[in-house]
Amino acid sequence: MIYKNITFKADPFSYDLVFDDRITLVGGDSGTGKTVLYEILEDLRLTNEYKAIKLFNYKSDEFLETMKRCRDNFIVIDNADILINDDIRKFINFEFSNQYMLFLRNCDGLNVSDKSFKVLKLDNNRITLEEEL
Amino acid sequence: MIDIYTEKKDSKDWILKNDLYFNLNTCNEEMSQNEIELIQQVDEAKLTPDKHIETKYGLGTIRNLSSGCKTLLNIVKHPDKVVCVEECGPNVLKIIFEMDNIKVYMSRPTLFEIPDDAEIRFNDTDVVTGNSGYNTWWSREYERREMDDL
Repeated sequence: MIYKNITFKADPFSYDLVFDDRITLVGGDSGTGKTVLYEILEDLRLTNEYKAIKLFNYKSDEFLETMKRCRDNFIVIDNADILINDDIRKFINFEFSNQYMLFLRNCDGLNVSDKSFKVLKLDNNRITLEEEL
Repeated sequence: MIDIYTEKKDSKDWILKNDLYFNLNTCNEEMSQNEIELIQQVDEAKLTPDKHIETKYGLGTIRNLSSGCKTLLNIVKHPDKVVCVEECGPNVLKIIFEMDNIKVYMSRPTLFEIPDDAEIRFNDTDVVTGNSGYNTWWSREYERREMDDL
Protein backbone atom coordinates (compact mmCIF):
# COMPACT_ATOMS: atom_id res chain seq x y z
CA MET A 1 0.00 0.00 0.00
CA ILE A 2 1.27 3.47 -0.84
CA TYR A 3 -0.90 5.11 1.84
CA LYS A 4 -2.72 3.26 4.60
CA ASN A 5 -4.16 6.62 5.72
CA ILE A 6 -4.61 10.03 4.18
CA THR A 7 -5.25 12.57 6.90
CA PHE A 8 -5.51 16.33 6.57
CA LYS A 9 -7.50 19.36 7.59
CA ALA A 10 -9.45 21.47 5.13
CA ASP A 11 -11.39 23.81 7.40
CA PRO A 12 -14.06 23.41 8.48
CA PHE A 13 -13.55 19.74 7.67
CA SER A 14 -11.01 17.19 8.76
CA TYR A 15 -10.45 14.19 6.52
CA ASP A 16 -9.40 10.85 7.98
CA LEU A 17 -9.34 8.37 5.13
CA VAL A 18 -8.28 4.79 5.92
CA PHE A 19 -7.69 2.27 3.13
CA ASP A 20 -8.13 -1.47 3.66
CA ASP A 21 -7.42 -2.70 0.14
CA ARG A 22 -5.11 -1.82 -2.74
CA ILE A 23 -8.22 -0.88 -4.71
CA THR A 24 -10.85 1.35 -3.08
CA LEU A 25 -14.09 2.09 -4.86
CA VAL A 26 -15.93 5.12 -3.52
CA GLY A 27 -19.63 5.00 -4.37
CA GLY A 28 -22.80 5.84 -2.50
CA ASP A 29 -25.25 8.64 -3.12
CA SER A 30 -24.58 11.57 -5.41
CA GLY A 31 -23.66 14.79 -3.64
CA THR A 32 -21.64 13.22 -0.84
CA GLY A 33 -18.46 15.15 -1.63
CA LYS A 34 -16.40 12.92 -3.92
CA THR A 35 -15.49 15.71 -6.33
CA VAL A 36 -14.92 18.10 -3.42
CA LEU A 37 -12.37 15.58 -2.06
CA TYR A 38 -10.79 15.28 -5.52
CA GLU A 39 -10.34 19.04 -5.70
CA ILE A 40 -8.69 19.17 -2.26
CA LEU A 41 -6.34 16.35 -3.32
CA GLU A 42 -5.21 18.57 -6.21
CA ASP A 43 -3.55 20.74 -3.56
CA LEU A 44 -2.52 17.95 -1.23
CA ARG A 45 -0.54 16.13 -3.94
CA LEU A 46 1.78 19.14 -4.16
CA THR A 47 3.09 18.42 -0.66
CA ASN A 48 6.11 16.21 -0.10
CA GLU A 49 4.16 13.71 1.99
CA TYR A 50 1.54 13.10 -0.65
CA LYS A 51 3.55 13.53 -3.83
CA ALA A 52 2.72 9.94 -4.86
CA ILE A 53 -0.87 11.01 -5.56
CA LYS A 54 -1.80 11.13 -9.25
CA LEU A 55 -5.18 12.54 -10.22
CA PHE A 56 -7.34 11.92 -13.25
CA ASN A 57 -10.81 13.09 -14.22
CA TYR A 58 -12.76 13.76 -17.41
CA LYS A 59 -10.60 16.82 -18.07
CA SER A 60 -7.30 14.88 -18.05
CA ASP A 61 -5.33 14.92 -21.29
CA GLU A 62 -4.07 11.61 -22.68
CA PHE A 63 -5.63 9.74 -19.78
CA LEU A 64 -4.92 6.21 -21.01
CA GLU A 65 -1.28 6.81 -21.90
CA THR A 66 -0.48 8.80 -18.74
CA MET A 67 -2.25 6.31 -16.51
CA LYS A 68 -0.32 3.37 -17.95
CA ARG A 69 2.99 5.07 -17.16
CA CYS A 70 2.16 5.31 -13.44
CA ARG A 71 4.29 3.26 -11.05
CA ASP A 72 4.40 3.45 -7.23
CA ASN A 73 1.59 5.98 -7.29
CA PHE A 74 -1.65 6.50 -5.39
CA ILE A 75 -4.00 6.95 -8.31
CA VAL A 76 -7.30 8.75 -7.88
CA ILE A 77 -9.83 8.73 -10.72
CA ASP A 78 -12.96 10.88 -10.59
CA ASN A 79 -15.68 10.22 -13.18
CA ALA A 80 -14.21 6.71 -13.44
CA ASP A 81 -17.45 5.18 -14.73
CA ILE A 82 -17.12 7.11 -17.96
CA LEU A 83 -13.31 7.06 -18.14
CA ILE A 84 -12.00 3.56 -17.61
CA ASN A 85 -12.26 0.78 -20.18
CA ASP A 86 -11.38 -2.93 -20.04
CA ASP A 87 -7.75 -2.13 -20.79
CA ILE A 88 -7.47 0.19 -17.80
CA ARG A 89 -9.28 -2.31 -15.58
CA LYS A 90 -6.63 -4.91 -16.51
CA PHE A 91 -3.86 -2.40 -15.78
CA ILE A 92 -5.37 -1.67 -12.35
CA ASN A 93 -5.61 -5.39 -11.59
CA PHE A 94 -2.06 -6.24 -12.57
CA GLU A 95 0.03 -3.13 -11.86
CA PHE A 96 0.59 -3.95 -8.20
CA SER A 97 3.02 -1.11 -7.54
CA ASN A 98 0.12 1.35 -7.55
CA GLN A 99 -2.73 1.90 -5.10
CA TYR A 100 -6.08 3.11 -6.40
CA MET A 101 -8.99 5.18 -5.14
CA LEU A 102 -11.66 5.13 -7.82
CA PHE A 103 -14.86 7.15 -7.75
CA LEU A 104 -16.59 4.31 -9.53
CA ARG A 105 -19.79 2.32 -9.28
CA ASN A 106 -19.21 -0.45 -11.85
CA CYS A 107 -16.72 -2.93 -10.39
CA ASP A 108 -16.98 -5.42 -13.29
CA GLY A 109 -13.59 -6.87 -14.20
CA LEU A 110 -11.75 -5.47 -11.17
CA ASN A 111 -10.06 -7.66 -8.56
CA VAL A 112 -11.80 -6.14 -5.58
CA SER A 113 -12.61 -7.49 -2.11
CA ASP A 114 -15.44 -6.72 0.28
CA LYS A 115 -13.08 -4.18 1.86
CA SER A 116 -12.86 -2.25 -1.40
CA PHE A 117 -16.34 -0.74 -1.29
CA LYS A 118 -16.54 2.55 0.58
CA VAL A 119 -18.70 5.63 0.91
CA LEU A 120 -17.76 9.07 2.19
CA LYS A 121 -19.33 9.85 5.53
CA LEU A 122 -19.60 13.34 7.02
CA ASP A 123 -20.13 13.47 10.75
CA ASN A 124 -19.60 16.62 12.77
CA ASN A 125 -17.27 18.05 10.09
CA ARG A 126 -15.14 14.88 10.14
CA ILE A 127 -15.06 13.03 6.83
CA THR A 128 -14.18 9.34 6.73
CA LEU A 129 -14.44 6.38 4.40
CA GLU A 130 -16.95 3.86 5.66
CA GLU A 131 -17.81 0.42 4.32
CA GLU A 132 -20.62 0.51 1.78
CA LEU A 133 -23.47 -1.70 2.94
CA MET B 1 -42.43 5.58 -20.42
CA ILE B 2 -38.75 5.49 -19.48
CA ASP B 3 -36.49 4.36 -22.29
CA ILE B 4 -33.32 2.56 -21.24
CA TYR B 5 -30.55 1.89 -23.74
CA THR B 6 -27.86 -0.58 -22.72
CA GLU B 7 -25.41 -0.26 -25.62
CA LYS B 8 -23.31 2.89 -25.80
CA LYS B 9 -23.70 5.02 -28.91
CA ASP B 10 -21.68 8.00 -30.06
CA SER B 11 -24.29 10.47 -31.25
CA LYS B 12 -25.08 14.15 -30.94
CA ASP B 13 -28.38 13.07 -29.40
CA TRP B 14 -26.58 11.32 -26.55
CA ILE B 15 -25.02 12.95 -23.47
CA LEU B 16 -22.21 10.74 -22.19
CA LYS B 17 -20.06 13.34 -20.42
CA ASN B 18 -22.63 14.92 -18.13
CA ASP B 19 -20.28 17.31 -16.32
CA LEU B 20 -18.97 18.69 -19.58
CA TYR B 21 -22.41 19.03 -21.18
CA PHE B 22 -23.82 20.68 -18.09
CA ASN B 23 -20.91 23.10 -17.68
CA LEU B 24 -21.09 24.21 -21.31
CA ASN B 25 -24.85 24.11 -21.93
CA THR B 26 -27.40 23.26 -19.26
CA CYS B 27 -25.96 25.57 -16.60
CA ASN B 28 -26.57 28.55 -18.87
CA GLU B 29 -30.29 27.85 -19.07
CA GLU B 30 -32.81 29.34 -16.67
CA MET B 31 -33.63 27.08 -13.71
CA SER B 32 -37.30 26.62 -12.81
CA GLN B 33 -38.58 26.33 -9.24
CA ASN B 34 -38.84 22.56 -9.71
CA GLU B 35 -35.19 22.39 -10.80
CA ILE B 36 -34.10 24.58 -7.87
CA GLU B 37 -35.90 22.13 -5.58
CA LEU B 38 -34.18 19.15 -7.24
CA ILE B 39 -30.81 20.82 -6.61
CA GLN B 40 -31.78 21.27 -2.97
CA GLN B 41 -32.97 17.66 -2.72
CA VAL B 42 -29.91 15.99 -4.26
CA ASP B 43 -27.00 18.21 -3.21
CA GLU B 44 -28.67 20.06 -0.34
CA ALA B 45 -27.58 23.16 -2.23
CA LYS B 46 -29.29 26.53 -2.27
CA LEU B 47 -29.25 28.08 -5.75
CA THR B 48 -29.25 31.88 -5.88
CA PRO B 49 -30.76 33.85 -8.80
CA ASP B 50 -27.23 34.62 -10.08
CA LYS B 51 -26.40 30.86 -10.17
CA HIS B 52 -24.20 30.70 -7.10
CA ILE B 53 -24.72 27.77 -4.77
CA GLU B 54 -24.36 27.31 -1.06
CA THR B 55 -23.76 23.79 0.21
CA LYS B 56 -22.37 22.21 3.37
CA TYR B 57 -19.02 22.10 1.57
CA GLY B 58 -19.00 25.85 0.99
CA LEU B 59 -19.89 28.45 -1.61
CA GLY B 60 -19.50 27.95 -5.34
CA THR B 61 -21.25 28.30 -8.64
CA ILE B 62 -23.78 26.06 -10.33
CA ARG B 63 -20.85 24.29 -12.00
CA ASN B 64 -19.84 22.94 -8.58
CA LEU B 65 -22.92 20.73 -8.31
CA SER B 66 -22.32 16.98 -8.09
CA SER B 67 -22.10 14.90 -11.26
CA GLY B 68 -25.31 13.12 -10.27
CA CYS B 69 -27.17 16.40 -9.84
CA LYS B 70 -25.83 17.69 -13.17
CA THR B 71 -26.98 14.46 -14.85
CA LEU B 72 -30.46 14.88 -13.38
CA LEU B 73 -30.67 18.46 -14.66
CA ASN B 74 -29.40 17.39 -18.10
CA ILE B 75 -32.28 14.89 -18.24
CA VAL B 76 -34.90 17.36 -17.05
CA LYS B 77 -33.74 20.10 -19.41
CA HIS B 78 -33.13 17.82 -22.42
CA PRO B 79 -35.70 15.00 -22.36
CA ASP B 80 -35.14 14.43 -26.08
CA LYS B 81 -31.57 13.27 -25.45
CA VAL B 82 -30.32 9.89 -24.24
CA VAL B 83 -28.41 10.68 -21.06
CA CYS B 84 -25.79 8.42 -19.46
CA VAL B 85 -26.74 7.73 -15.83
CA GLU B 86 -23.77 5.54 -14.92
CA GLU B 87 -22.34 8.15 -12.55
CA CYS B 88 -25.61 8.58 -10.63
CA GLY B 89 -26.01 7.40 -7.07
CA PRO B 90 -29.16 5.59 -5.88
CA ASN B 91 -30.62 8.88 -4.58
CA VAL B 92 -30.56 10.39 -8.09
CA LEU B 93 -31.67 7.21 -9.88
CA LYS B 94 -34.71 7.06 -7.59
CA ILE B 95 -35.73 10.55 -8.73
CA ILE B 96 -35.04 9.79 -12.39
CA PHE B 97 -37.26 6.71 -12.35
CA GLU B 98 -40.14 8.71 -10.88
CA MET B 99 -40.09 10.78 -14.09
CA ASP B 100 -41.75 10.00 -17.42
CA ASN B 101 -40.85 10.36 -21.10
CA ILE B 102 -37.12 10.32 -20.61
CA LYS B 103 -34.27 8.38 -22.21
CA VAL B 104 -31.25 7.07 -20.33
CA TYR B 105 -28.19 4.94 -21.00
CA MET B 106 -27.04 2.36 -18.44
CA SER B 107 -24.91 -0.68 -19.21
CA ARG B 108 -25.59 -2.52 -15.94
CA PRO B 109 -28.25 -2.62 -13.22
CA THR B 110 -28.09 -0.63 -10.00
CA LEU B 111 -29.99 -1.25 -6.78
CA PHE B 112 -32.45 1.56 -6.12
CA GLU B 113 -36.17 2.05 -5.56
CA ILE B 114 -38.33 1.98 -8.68
CA PRO B 115 -42.06 2.81 -8.43
CA ASP B 116 -44.31 -0.23 -9.01
CA ASP B 117 -46.13 1.52 -11.85
CA ALA B 118 -43.02 2.77 -13.71
CA GLU B 119 -43.14 1.71 -17.35
CA ILE B 120 -39.69 0.93 -18.70
CA ARG B 121 -38.71 0.07 -22.26
CA PHE B 122 -35.32 -1.54 -22.91
CA ASN B 123 -33.58 -0.86 -26.22
CA ASP B 124 -36.81 0.18 -27.98
CA THR B 125 -38.23 -3.35 -27.65
CA ASP B 126 -38.90 -4.97 -24.26
CA VAL B 127 -41.45 -3.18 -22.06
CA VAL B 128 -41.48 -4.04 -18.35
CA THR B 129 -43.12 -2.57 -15.26
CA GLY B 130 -41.64 -1.55 -11.91
CA ASN B 131 -38.84 -2.97 -9.87
CA SER B 132 -39.58 -6.64 -10.55
CA GLY B 133 -39.74 -6.10 -14.31
CA TYR B 134 -36.47 -4.17 -14.20
CA ASN B 135 -34.67 -6.87 -12.20
CA THR B 136 -36.06 -9.72 -14.31
CA TRP B 137 -34.93 -8.01 -17.52
CA TRP B 138 -31.40 -7.53 -16.19
CA SER B 139 -31.20 -11.16 -14.98
CA ARG B 140 -32.03 -12.34 -18.49
CA GLU B 141 -29.60 -9.83 -19.98
CA TYR B 142 -26.77 -11.15 -17.81
CA GLU B 143 -27.64 -14.74 -18.83
CA ARG B 144 -27.46 -13.60 -22.45
CA ARG B 145 -24.12 -11.85 -21.91
CA GLU B 146 -22.74 -14.97 -20.21
CA MET B 147 -23.83 -17.15 -23.12
CA ASP B 148 -22.29 -14.69 -25.55
CA ASP B 149 -19.13 -14.60 -23.38
CA LEU B 150 -19.42 -10.84 -22.95
